[in-house]
Amino acid sequence: MRSPSAVALDAHAAATLRYIRASMDAAGTVAVSGSAGVAMGVIGLLAATLASTGSLRPHWLAVWLFAAALACSVGGVLMARQASLQGFTLFGAPVRKFILCLAPGLFAGAAMTFVHWQENNLHAIPATWLLLYGCALISTSAPTTRMVGILGSLFALLGLITFCLPESLQTVALGAGFGGLHLVFGVMIRRKSRVS
Amino acid sequence: MPSASKTHADSRFDRLVYERVRLGMMSALAVRDELTFSELKTLFDVSDGNLSAHARKLEDAGYVTCTKSFDGRRPKSVYRLTAAGRAALNRYLDHVEAVIKATRTA
Repeated sequence: MRSPSAVALDAHAAATLRYIRASMDAAGTVAVSGSAGVAMGVIGLLAATLASTGSLRPHWLAVWLFAAALACSVGGVLMARQASLQGFTLFGAPVRKFILCLAPGLFAGAAMTFVHWQENNLHAIPATWLLLYGCALISTSAPTTRMVGILGSLFALLGLITFCLPESLQTVALGAGFGGLHLVFGVMIRRKSRVS
Repeated sequence: MPSASKTHADSRFDRLVYERVRLGMMSALAVRDELTFSELKTLFDVSDGNLSAHARKLEDAGYVTCTKSFDGRRPKSVYRLTAAGRAALNRYLDHVEAVIKATRTA
């Protein structure tokens, strides 16, 4: 039978390990993957191209929704891969913070998409997506990097501009944002992580 | 039997790293390249004086480095973990794990 002092020592050592882990988690940041940005950018550009072609043009919303689901999956897998390569736990506090910051903006985007679709107000969807995705990214700059905040600000700005654009240019704006901005920032983040 | 110098180094290490705020500072700096004084203060919810005293002890031991600069007109102190600090933290983790193993097999 273990002595009470051995049990106390064991509990104290375990509590110390938990404290070290909590300190690391609190200070840790989510490793943003440049590859995820590049992959999401390529998917965005493909979606913009497909949604602009003659036969698929009436189904642009379905094309973009499919692209969004695909980009989220690919981006998520690449971010998880990056986190494991850098030795971060996948479900640690920084990742929880990242998800908590990102989710409200994405949820609002999904809700607004449903509302616009029900009201047959489809022309407002691209600007709403860009604006709310931008706001979500600005929030996630806290547990990630300042570069993500800059990317989010550009998305939000593009969203505001898109509200004023004619309907014919809105797919172009989606392509510029979800394709172009993701691609450019993905390349920049990859370069920066290679240098450091 | 451990040498006198090693025993001395271990006891010095114990006093430095064992304290809760210093252990937290070193753990946080192990996962971040650098942290500012205000970031550390927010993380551990301690007073300026308390944090300064702990940071100075770690600096004196060569476990962290402090770079002072100005952010506009405001002074800014940036802390980084040194190789010696990382080794000390790893050694401490080994000690704690050894204690857990020893008490569980006892």
